[in-house]
Amino acid sequence: MKTRLIKLAAAVALATSALTGSVYADIKIGVLVPDSGPSGLFGPSTRNSATLAAKEINAAGGINGEQIELVFADVGVPPAEATQAALRLWKGQGVKAFIGMHDSAVRQALLGLFKGQVPYVYTPVYEGNACGKGLYVTGETPSQQLAPVIPYLMAEKDAKKWYLIGHDYNWPRDTNKLAKQYIADAGGEVVGEEYLPFSVSEFDSSLQKIKASGAEGVLITLVGGGSVGFNVAFAGFGLDKQAIRLGTLIEENTLAGIGAANANGLYSSSGYFAAIDSPVAKSFSSSYASEFGTDAPVLNTLGQSAYDGLKLLAAIAAKANGLAVSAMDMVAEGTTFESPRGKGVLKDGHVAQNIYLADGTGGMFKVVYSFANVPTSEGCAN
Amino acid sequence: MSSVLILNILWQISILAMVTIGLGIVFGQLKIMNMAHGELVMIGAYAPVITASLGLPAVLQVPVCIITVGIVALILERTIIRHLYGRPFDSLLATWGVSILLREIVELLFGRGYQSVSSPLPGTMSVLGTDYPAYRIVVIIGVFAFFAILIAWYRRSAIGTEIKAMVENCELAHACGINTSRLSSLCFVFGALTAGIAGMVLAPTIRIEPMMGLDYLIRSFFSLVVGGLGSVEGLMLGVGIIGGLQSALGAAFDQTYGYLGILLLSIFFLWLRPNGIYSSR
Amino acid sequence: MAFIVLVNAALLAVLLAIPFLFDSYIVYQIGLYLIYGIAAQGIGYLWGRIGILPLGQAMFFGLSAYATARILLHFDSLSLQLILLAGVMLVAGLTAFLFASVVFKGRSDSGPFFSLITLALVIISEQVAGTATAITGGFNGLSGYNTLAGIDQFGGLYLMIVGAVIFSTVVLMSFDRVPFGLVGRAMADNEQRLQLLGFPTHIIKGAAFAVSAVFAALAGILFANHQGIVTPTSTGFLLSANLVIWTAVGGRYHVLGPLLGAVLIGYLSSELRDSFQYWEVLLAILFIVVVLKAPGGLGELVDKSVSRLLVTKKATAKRVFHDAPPGRIGNWQSAVQFNDVHVKIGPVKILNGVQFTTFPKGILCIIGPNGAGKTSLFNAITGGLRVSRGEINVDGKSISNRSPHQALRSGIGRKLQVPSVFHSLRVWENLCLSMLAGRGRIPDYFKPSSFHWQSRALQQFLSVPHIPLADRSDELVSSLAQGHRQFLEFAMTIAAEPRILLLDEPCAGLSTDETQLMTRVIKQYQTANDGLIVLIEHDMSIVKSIADQVLVLHQGKVLANGTYDEIKSNDSVRDVYAGGTK
Repeated sequence: MKTRLIKLAAAVALATSALTGSVYADIKIGVLVPDSGPSGLFGPSTRNSATLAAKEINAAGGINGEQIELVFADVGVPPAEATQAALRLWKGQGVKAFIGMHDSAVRQALLGLFKGQVPYVYTPVYEGNACGKGLYVTGETPSQQLAPVIPYLMAEKDAKKWYLIGHDYNWPRDTNKLAKQYIADAGGEVVGEEYLPFSVSEFDSSLQKIKASGAEGVLITLVGGGSVGFNVAFAGFGLDKQAIRLGTLIEENTLAGIGAANANGLYSSSGYFAAIDSPVAKSFSSSYASEFGTDAPVLNTLGQSAYDGLKLLAAIAAKANGLAVSAMDMVAEGTTFESPRGKGVLKDGHVAQNIYLADGTGGMFKVVYSFANVPTSEGCAN
Repeated sequence: MSSVLILNILWQISILAMVTIGLGIVFGQLKIMNMAHGELVMIGAYAPVITASLGLPAVLQVPVCIITVGIVALILERTIIRHLYGRPFDSLLATWGVSILLREIVELLFGRGYQSVSSPLPGTMSVLGTDYPAYRIVVIIGVFAFFAILIAWYRRSAIGTEIKAMVENCELAHACGINTSRLSSLCFVFGALTAGIAGMVLAPTIRIEPMMGLDYLIRSFFSLVVGGLGSVEGLMLGVGIIGGLQSALGAAFDQTYGYLGILLLSIFFLWLRPNGIYSSR
Repeated sequence: MAFIVLVNAALLAVLLAIPFLFDSYIVYQIGLYLIYGIAAQGIGYLWGRIGILPLGQAMFFGLSAYATARILLHFDSLSLQLILLAGVMLVAGLTAFLFASVVFKGRSDSGPFFSLITLALVIISEQVAGTATAITGGFNGLSGYNTLAGIDQFGGLYLMIVGAVIFSTVVLMSFDRVPFGLVGRAMADNEQRLQLLGFPTHIIKGAAFAVSAVFAALAGILFANHQGIVTPTSTGFLLSANLVIWTAVGGRYHVLGPLLGAVLIGYLSSELRDSFQYWEVLLAILFIVVVLKAPGGLGELVDKSVSRLLVTKKATAKRVFHDAPPGRIGNWQSAVQFNDVHVKIGPVKILNGVQFTTFPKGILCIIGPNGAGKTSLFNAITGGLRVSRGEINVDGKSISNRSPHQALRSGIGRKLQVPSVFHSLRVWENLCLSMLAGRGRIPDYFKPSSFHWQSRALQQFLSVPHIPLADRSDELVSSLAQGHRQFLEFAMTIAAEPRILLLDEPCAGLSTDETQLMTRVIKQYQTANDGLIVLIEHDMSIVKSIADQVLVLHQGKVLANGTYDEIKSNDSVRDVYAGGTK
């Protein structure tokens, strides 16, 4: 008797959940953002961009006719806790796909967690070569940011001697490996290469080495506060008269921290700037402003990337008729989507995209050149 | 030894001295292991930001800094610090909690982003045959002048003697009519104010965000460990060794070795000479 | 014993109930904080019992996690993995032991300097982990390994964690019930007294630090399995600070306190951080309040409310004693020889060429005006004061400039000028420690039976009528009168039956009756022991009644040496005492 009652109750519960599942619940998409930790300042712009994307996707009918609902979690924490957060969303709240805007350590941890069972779009600029089942990357890679830009800048600014300086971890090292190639190919010379620990906050000895080397261009792969401190000190020593600077992760917040007086000759190569002059980008900025107010967190490549991630996810899901990884992986290659950055095409698990070169002189970015449809050489060609 | 290296070392020593003197007073004289010291520097660095957001002219940065840091220090002393005199472990832990608190409050008020403060004296000037930022030269001279005056004053002033008496034997000093509780308050607030002013002076040359204080805390502590507590001479010596060593190693090898070098040196001193080189005991 | 079983059975029940009450991912998260809790328990032991605050435990935690990841990556055989992982814990313990023993050698405090050293070390550890990419995978960390025995991270691993928690709790609770735990608490109370009882305190601290390191390593091993990835933050300062915060809030004086702190605070943090903007502020304020007002944390609050609910009758059990094993301390029969001994502190000459030899047995009294150097003489003998020139010899062997704990090993016992006993312990615990002094071998420290030792000398002492200790054995020493503490310290000093007994003003603060009692037991001890007693005294009537010989010390030099009557009629001695020429 007892067993029969239990079976009956279970059946009722199952039926109810199935009913409610198909009629009332939206598709939950998990958006993993850094609310705390070193990248914490990008949390708000990421959330906002994702929210805007979800709004647009839902207005256009959602994913395969179903509305989507975003569920956010803070992954600015150590990878251990980041996996907890993702797990909470995945198993606890029934999230069906993930958009990740966070660092590589967390990405590695999440790849180990998901094991290809759930679609996962990784959106920020990073070092390249991340591959796996169900993993799609919209973020810019060093080859995209530098292959066209370095020869252009070297010719435009007559900068032949380059000094490479970055923090000591894999993104700067991988970037510089490629950079050295591009500089050599364009007839230039690398006069110095230096890696700093995260804990250092003063850069005098590095600046002296740059001065002594006679560098005409400095490639900066410092991140966060170190990038700000370095650039402030660089200009303080008057080195901006000696060399131009090119950074691959200098976005609007960092530029604000550096300050107008210290940004002379500071270039940034990125897939997105708030100052991009295209109609799509401008309409995006105005939607953003009207949705979140003019005081909203400044748009930047990291925050905005979540928008691109959701757009790509929606596009692939439309082609695959659902969010099952096996179906998505089969049709993903070649998917295109529209974004304020321009048109993006998924190739080798990564997005071939427009790359913009902006000049930060005067404290606000001005796009001085755009390179269309740059593919990456660090994709998943298999 | 190039003149730029000399100037860099002088600059490092100057800012480290500025930042450390506050901790030297609080740790050396009051025996409070103030883990929130870096946050006091941070709040001082935010003073120009506060001034700008209040719409006040830039000249008022100094009074704004003094008032803000002073109020914070006073509140801390009255509510928390005064229960911690003579309790080194507890002061370490409680002030660590305070540092978290201060960081969170600043983050809630100003957000996590970087603030920028323009230099009051931009441009370089020619010193010792090389171009060096003018602002830094002025600060270096200012710091050395300040310390010269401080050493002279401490040796001769009445308050200096009272502080020494209080540190040696608090009860006896109190019995002699010295208002020890007011003196400790004054010491702590003064120490905090020097940290705040140091932050404000540093602001145009560094990044400004809530987490910036930790690095200064660590280097100040280890400068005091090496140089010895309880005397300004010891402080200068410790700051000279730590600041100089980091710059020299950073210039000779790279920054990683610079930082590791000062950590290893500090461990060495903590182990074998925990009273530092120039201890007054 | 029954108490340990009861508590752990309850703990086991609670922990095993969790998978039935919650979903697998909540269980997974609780498992993570239980892992942190094991590391925190190690901190609680080291800090709450021993009095050393480690600010860098993440170093042992994280490096063990890295080692585990490497072992699981490169070795496939289960038995080999288990052996290597046991090796990881062993290495952690040994390294910690060697490090702490060396750092603490030659000092008698556990002050903040050690905490700062561990802080610097963990910062170095995080730096190295971040840059040694070949070994540690650098910033991205080490991943891609299978768990131990292929155990399911969301399933069976929880049981492994529960097993580890029970293990650590049982071990730590057992420490409290064997002499090893008592020694630790004594050291936190009065390190100098423990050294004079012959305990090498730097070794004890090393052992305690090793215990905490092993727990951190165990937690690190489980962590690597739990997470599937190890990154530099697991060996960083922030994790170390969090572990200390959880220990403090949970309660460092209770074995389960840190577990409570880690699971409650740590787990709540990860849940509430997203939804509640002011969570971190609240946590910081809570931590500050705990440090200032409730140093025992939640554990103490729970304890207080529980003890208010259950009024337990403290049964004063009749203590059963059995004979202690023989002492293993030196057994000299010869005199103490001072050979031109000089002691200087800075420019001040404390001992200025002391030259004399005692007789091999009997009672020698040292007298002299204040500042003559009497206590310093004792300090020079037991090693607390450095002899700059000359030698102190016993039986032809030099005993100057050694560590204080070596004094008792050579058969020298000492009572200090201000009675130095363990104030936070009970009388019987003080006596028990003195029984272990110079007698116990390492296994004895882990057997509860060692609590019941009693030596002949102590028996004799306690059976003297009117000795005020016999019926006070359960009292806390802090509630004893000063005079009683003198007797206690005397009892502790003779318990090990030292051949050479140094007594520094044993009758200070005693009433007339008590003074008579004390002189009686001193003479009794000398008769039974047939050794040498050196006594510092100011009261001439005591000197007259007890001394076989009298030594007068003045300005760091021997002024006169002879029987009481000879000294009394000595002119230069009279001058010194009457304020004559210096």
